[in-house]
Amino acid sequence: MTALLSVRDLAVDLPLGRWFGGGARALNILAGVTMDLQPGRTLGLVGESGSGKTTLARAILGLQPVSGGTLRFDGAELRRSADFRAIRRRTALMFQDATASLSPRMTVGEAVTEPFVIHGIRIASRRGKAAELLAEVGLPAEMAARYPHELSGGQARRVGVARALALKPSLVIADEPTAGLDVSVQAEILNLMADLKDRHGLSYLVITHNLALVRHVADRIAVLYLGRLVETGPTRAIFAGPGHPYTRSLIAAEPKPDPRQRRTDLAIRGEIPGILRRPPGCEFHTRCPVARDICRSAAPALHDLGPGHSVRCHFPETTSKGG
Amino acid sequence: MSSGGRFRALRALLSDPMGALGLGLVLLFVVMALFAPWVAPADPIKLNVAEKFQPPSLAHLAGTDQLGRDLLSRIVYGARTALAIALTAVGLAGVGGLILGMIAGFGPRWLDAVLVLLFDSMSSLPMIMFALAVITIVGPGTGTLILVVVLVSIPAYARLIRAQTLALSGADFIVAERAMGASSARILFRHLLPNVVGPLLILLSMDVPVVIMLEAGLSYLNLGVRPPTPSWGNILYDGYTSIRAAPHMVVIAGLPLVLSTLGFTFLGEGLRDALDPRLRRRVAG
Repeated sequence: MTALLSVRDLAVDLPLGRWFGGGARALNILAGVTMDLQPGRTLGLVGESGSGKTTLARAILGLQPVSGGTLRFDGAELRRSADFRAIRRRTALMFQDATASLSPRMTVGEAVTEPFVIHGIRIASRRGKAAELLAEVGLPAEMAARYPHELSGGQARRVGVARALALKPSLVIADEPTAGLDVSVQAEILNLMADLKDRHGLSYLVITHNLALVRHVADRIAVLYLGRLVETGPTRAIFAGPGHPYTRSLIAAEPKPDPRQRRTDLAIRGEIPGILRRPPGCEFHTRCPVARDICRSAAPALHDLGPGHSVRCHFPETTSKGG
Repeated sequence: MSSGGRFRALRALLSDPMGALGLGLVLLFVVMALFAPWVAPADPIKLNVAEKFQPPSLAHLAGTDQLGRDLLSRIVYGARTALAIALTAVGLAGVGGLILGMIAGFGPRWLDAVLVLLFDSMSSLPMIMFALAVITIVGPGTGTLILVVVLVSIPAYARLIRAQTLALSGADFIVAERAMGASSARILFRHLLPNVVGPLLILLSMDVPVVIMLEAGLSYLNLGVRPPTPSWGNILYDGYTSIRAAPHMVVIAGLPLVLSTLGFTFLGEGLRDALDPRLRRRVAG
């Protein structure tokens, strides 16, 4: 089966000091990102703030210039902006801040039917289509006359979902789909997304820092640290036996109802290092509980831990014993 | 939906007392200017030296000047001069600023750098000095005045529009448009334009009195509108030269300047509140 979305060695660099500092310096926002998303599946992309999650989403949609690697959508390579424009009808992006992603001067009805106008698709009545799309996400038709600032966070999120799904895309990239919502509303949104996925055969790329969320929705997980994928694999395999110390720490840091199950020995210390001062060797060695000398000098290669489960660490075996 | 939105904005403007007052004053001057021949009681340039320096009376509601011309008529026709120049100049400058600002904000970086350099060097010149220089080269007159105002005002408008465009280009809802596949033209005209034009309208409305004052100032210096065409500036000058013989002239010539300045400023502030959909609900109730 060909992957719906296939990312190989993707790199995004931001040049620094273009005018006076010489063109030599560049920020590596993303490096060597390789992952696949099968049709009808959900891939969870996990990482802290500043790990490059959102940049990766924008790069996949051609909203962020890439400096290396290849992107394929449904087998076709995406190179020039025309390639990305050609797939815009089949991809959709849901924003972390749903309210800000709606034009302040457009009513909800105009916003959700905007994709039809953009792609010159004839619809019998804009009002009727808006009501239909809103009904699909559980909003009343009267909502169409509202402006974004008149919506609650959950309503804005639903409008975002309605707009993303208007053209029945094959790939939906959801950036923190539950950020800033009450727990009950989070569940509603997730159920709605799952529902629509079953009904329309969508594939999701869910970007989040919330492990509980990916455990709930994702078939596969990719863990991003400082712009590099440190571990990818099936959700069940990763939660059962995380190979990378970073993944293990993330899972250990999840709140547990039973205090005796909480572990503090795996806690990672400090903040994610600034991307300007990327550590040499393995990026994670500054915070790694099991780092040794080699981690400070040599970048680790990928090791297979099982079917479709790989990890970028010098000592995946030894570290996994502790988990 | 959008016509309803505009109607709501008007209601919001009228429910704000200052905005309503501003709109009323502006309309008063606009009516005066448009219908000057019918509003004015007499011919503004007809001399009648026998009746010079008359104080306000039933025959001449605002009195007469040093050549016996009816002052009220001159004020009414002066409104025509002032508004024609101010609205034309500000309108042209607004359109120019809008286009250049959006090009700078949305276009390639090098073009932005060139335009910003241009704006900065233009606005480093003092307005009145620049006006005097242009008048010296081209010669005084209405056309020159408009040219000066357009050249001097474009940088300020363009800079406002550029900043708005730049700030909005990175906004999520614009990125969303791009992700949905909207063309640059659609993003520019359908999404950026309506969001940048509001602040510009407010600035334009607040700049109209500045231009009216500039016109009056230059006409006062005899560098603007040529006599005998009535202008609030040359009426004020006539009043100043004959302040001992007829002190009422200065007061009457100054009044429309004060009132039009206040009117346009109030209208601008009222528009700012009425056009912002986030404030609209609160104002309209």
